[in-house]
Amino acid sequence: MKIRSARVMTGVAALALLATACGGGDDTAAPEDAAEGTMVIWADPERTEALMPFAERFGGAHGVTVDVQSIPNEDLQDNFVTAHQAGSGPDLVVGAHDWTGNLVRNGAIDPVQLPQDKADGFEPVSLDAVTFDGRLYGVPYAMENLVLFRNTDLAPDAPATVEELVAIGSGLKDAGEVDEILSLQVGAEGDAYHIYPFYSSAGGYLFGEGENGSLDPADMGVGQDASIEAFEKIAELGESGDGALKRSIDNQNAGPLFNDGKTAFYVSGPWAIPDMKTAGIPYDITPIPGFEDGGEARPFIGVQAFFVASGGANKVLAQEFVTNFVAEPELAVALYEADPRPPALTEALEMVSEQDPDLARVVEAGANGDPLPSLPEMSAIWGPFGQAEAAVIAGEDVATAVGSAGESITDQIG
Amino acid sequence: MGASEGAPTPRANDGPAVSAAGLALKACALGLAASLGVWAAVPLFDAANWVGLGIVAAVTALIFYAYLSPRHVPLKYLLPGTLLLVAFQILPVLYTVSTSVTNFGDGHRGDKEQAIAAIEAYSVVRAPDSTDYALTVAADGDPATGGLVFLLTAPDGAVYAGDAEGLTGLAPGDVTADPSGRITGADGYTVLTTGQINDRGGEVADLAVPTGDGSGIRSSGLSAAYEGTATRTYQEDCDCVVDSATGVEYAADEEAGLFVSADGEALLQGWQVGVGADNFLRFLTDRTVASSFFSILTWNIGFAAGTTFLVFTLGLALALLMHTRKPLRGQSLYRILLVLPYAMPSFAMLLLWRDMFNVDFGLINRMLGLDVDWLGGTWTARGSILLVNTWLGFPYMFLVATGALQAVPRELGQAARIDGASAWQAFRDVTLPLLMVAMTPILISTFAFNFNNFNAVWLTTAGGPFSPDNPLAGSTDLLITYTFRLAFGGQGAQYGFASAVSVFIFLIVAILSLVSLRQSRALEEVR
Amino acid sequence: MAATTTSRRATRWLRESAWRHLLLWLALVFALFPILFVVSAAFNPLGTLSSSRLVPTGAGLDNARRLFQETPFGSWYVNSVVIALTNAAVTVFLSALAAYAFSRFRFTGRRVGLVGILLIQMFPQFLAIVAIYLMFTTVTDYWPTVGFDTRWGLMLVYLGGALSVNTWMMKGFFDTVPVELDESAKVDGATHAQAFFRIMLPLVTPVLAIVGLLVFISTVNEFLIASVFLRDPESKTVALGLYGLISGERNANFGIFAMGTLLIALPTMAVFWFLQRFIVEGLTSGSVKG
Repeated sequence: MKIRSARVMTGVAALALLATACGGGDDTAAPEDAAEGTMVIWADPERTEALMPFAERFGGAHGVTVDVQSIPNEDLQDNFVTAHQAGSGPDLVVGAHDWTGNLVRNGAIDPVQLPQDKADGFEPVSLDAVTFDGRLYGVPYAMENLVLFRNTDLAPDAPATVEELVAIGSGLKDAGEVDEILSLQVGAEGDAYHIYPFYSSAGGYLFGEGENGSLDPADMGVGQDASIEAFEKIAELGESGDGALKRSIDNQNAGPLFNDGKTAFYVSGPWAIPDMKTAGIPYDITPIPGFEDGGEARPFIGVQAFFVASGGANKVLAQEFVTNFVAEPELAVALYEADPRPPALTEALEMVSEQDPDLARVVEAGANGDPLPSLPEMSAIWGPFGQAEAAVIAGEDVATAVGSAGESITDQIG
Repeated sequence: MGASEGAPTPRANDGPAVSAAGLALKACALGLAASLGVWAAVPLFDAANWVGLGIVAAVTALIFYAYLSPRHVPLKYLLPGTLLLVAFQILPVLYTVSTSVTNFGDGHRGDKEQAIAAIEAYSVVRAPDSTDYALTVAADGDPATGGLVFLLTAPDGAVYAGDAEGLTGLAPGDVTADPSGRITGADGYTVLTTGQINDRGGEVADLAVPTGDGSGIRSSGLSAAYEGTATRTYQEDCDCVVDSATGVEYAADEEAGLFVSADGEALLQGWQVGVGADNFLRFLTDRTVASSFFSILTWNIGFAAGTTFLVFTLGLALALLMHTRKPLRGQSLYRILLVLPYAMPSFAMLLLWRDMFNVDFGLINRMLGLDVDWLGGTWTARGSILLVNTWLGFPYMFLVATGALQAVPRELGQAARIDGASAWQAFRDVTLPLLMVAMTPILISTFAFNFNNFNAVWLTTAGGPFSPDNPLAGSTDLLITYTFRLAFGGQGAQYGFASAVSVFIFLIVAILSLVSLRQSRALEEVR
Repeated sequence: MAATTTSRRATRWLRESAWRHLLLWLALVFALFPILFVVSAAFNPLGTLSSSRLVPTGAGLDNARRLFQETPFGSWYVNSVVIALTNAAVTVFLSALAAYAFSRFRFTGRRVGLVGILLIQMFPQFLAIVAIYLMFTTVTDYWPTVGFDTRWGLMLVYLGGALSVNTWMMKGFFDTVPVELDESAKVDGATHAQAFFRIMLPLVTPVLAIVGLLVFISTVNEFLIASVFLRDPESKTVALGLYGLISGERNANFGIFAMGTLLIALPTMAVFWFLQRFIVEGLTSGSVKG
């Protein structure tokens, strides 16, 4: 008894010690790295590796160490703002443009001055996205937007309108060739990002435009008549209508439905392409169609950008990195290779489009898109808007659902 | 720690050898504590942080006192864990409580100075007809201390030197430049290296070479400069921010932590201020809170109690199944496989379960040939969540019950059976009461954990299903998910409000737990 | 006790164990069928967590290959095991010390202490990360060795939870060890420390092993606090690394994730296998406890 328990204690202790010792060997003592003269970049894990060679090159050129650290995407913005407040943030952060409003509100990033010749090299919409209150706050490197994927075996021709899409899809479903008319993720709580193209085509809007062309949080469109009319149209596609939109299709099964050939149409973005290739599905990329009597369907444009932290110890270097380094096509191409989204730099976009014709089609499908609003008020929209969408698709009364969503959003914006 | 101070009786003959080893160990441990104390003190001393130094000294003294004094024996056992508990559990809780009376949150994270600095920095606009200059950062004399100078090349090739005083033209003959026109050297100035510039990064970023009309030439990285104007400046006499472009004055509102103009427009960047009981009042008086609080609380208690009951019953039943005198064949394998649900990352398993409940594509409906919208109906959603949570939690209870069963002398149950009790009676009357003494605190802690089990709800139903006329409170919402939606879903993170609700939630769950603890025998003395 | 006839025992054992096995098999089905999807996703090159695909469309080790080629999975793995083992060992030790004090001594503050360690964990953790940032920004300034980007800082935070309900669990077990045992040892001249190390600890191995396992598992699965401390790609733990791969990504590949999950379940199973004999040790120790 005694011996055994002594053994378990020593065993565990020895293992732990051994493990610590071994671990200690390859732990290249982070404290030294954290020494002065180190520029720190925070990115999400997907991009960290692609950034490292460039960080090294930049560091080599300027005689500093550049450390690329990764934080899970979901926690990156929060951690960055909190670290900024505590005084231990990085010098640069790589993130989505719709963070801009919140980062500016917290004073966590510095404006960026991009010389005109550099600015001319970017796709205009990508610069618009990181412009907040008339000022540029980040340097973009990639864009993305939703498109319509079509299984060309099942549906050789691209539909020009939503009605046409539903007709083709229903025909295929009735013929037993597919299970679903369309795969567009909704889920039990709705999904504002994915429904927005249809919502915008049907005449709905989120924020009106103010005098200087930027969005006006005081003019919030959810709950107004236009939004109710738009959701009426969406309701017709829902579970008690055509059955093209279903709450049971969510972020987990939307992709597999298309990749298994169980639906001919799939609304998603460039991130879905690798799986289609693996599955061997013949696909084509076209813009998301709008309603017959509605406007164009405008997907959200999301932009990935580099931001200069206002609390960094190496602000001058960080500014140098974004103005002179991010504007190089090589970095954009490398980031594209790590994660295939269309580069924001026109030259890089042209370079990769040559090898990857899909990209040009994605960009074309997003040509009339709206940059995802970067107002801090946007965070009040997602939940209630999605729930209204789910309720409407379930067949609930449209005016009630959209009206109460509008009320909650207004309440929350305060 | 293994020395003799606790033994008042004279040492017996066989003691000394062991005690010597114990003494040596103790000396080592205290030596380690002392050197840690010194190690911790040096940087504090260097930075003249006397408060920090005092804390380090006090903690070290406490450690020495506890282990050298023959008194306070329990302290010797409690001290290491307690020190860590105070630092990493109690301090964060105190921090949360202190935050609950502030407006801390997005837009109100820093102090007033930081807000002013951000407002001024963000108001710099590029002059309409501004020129872009090629920039070389230099110093007037010593690289580390000499006044900063911007050596600038205009697009037309003209060269200037600019400092805090203003812009002066340079003779083209006095400078050397690279092919792009950027200056590489100028008579009388020391061109700084990247490292030197970075060391003076703050100064470089702050320098605006005045060009009249409040405009200034500012750096944009190491090699470019532009002419810009700060349109908003803070003025101390009126404690306000004035916008030079529009002429609007934004007065500081110390109650809200914002600069607000006369017509009620507030600048985006605010600062942290105390708001007293506002956060608590907001929760108590909110109209949506008033209408949904009690239904949420009822379900929350039901969820936590139901989960605790289910995992306990299942876990204990499984532990009893394997609590045989002779080991059950394959019992090691059974145990390991039964613990697997607990060893899997729970957030992924919750997503997986959500998918299994899907009405059209989920495994459960397809296997049973049903068409039930499990997560779409109030009671089916609640039942589903309980089932999932039971799956996630029963292995824990199984392990704990297995351990607790080892502590119940088997002979007691056998004695009861010899006295004629059935197996069930023997278990109910003899084993279970003994077991409950050990298990009650575990059950209470399981209850409390599930009371605040954010992930179990957020990743499966996200609080839904929601009634179409109330998107803020769903049928499976717990107080914690509801709070999250209120405090983090609207205007970014509102930590002050979240803290206030945390205090409420803590009070509820702590009172429930204390009452059940008192009703049980868990706190009674064993001897 | 020794007098029962072997034949009667044999029939009883058969009768008893048959239904036991049946019920255990049912429990295994309940416990394991969701995990089948994880296995299926792990070997499916198009790994999804969608339950419509129990049978992989293509079985292969593609996910394993990508896991090792595209991520520093090896170092993640070592980090996880090192951190979890160390944390489990130290937590068990600190918790056992405290449990001994709570079980064997009567002192002022004992009840408050016991109730306190139970209650402190009930506080909602909304601000935990913010508090850690504030605290460790200062720590990193003065003592970078235990600050951000180090596993020592992370372990310190984990050890803040060493006194918890686990201490109660141990205390409950300690209480069942007759006081006469350590008192007779003290009469023989043993100190309280000797009584603790030589009398008490050997008798309570089941609870030590269980707490060790519980702490090991929860440390292996923890990623929120870890994400604050382990930012260097190489220094991450498996849970953090895998979470980073699927968090917030619209094209989350659960195949790689599932493969990693299965691989990290292996050391957990090994630790359990190793500890299991100590958990059931109580079965044979009944006579000692008398």
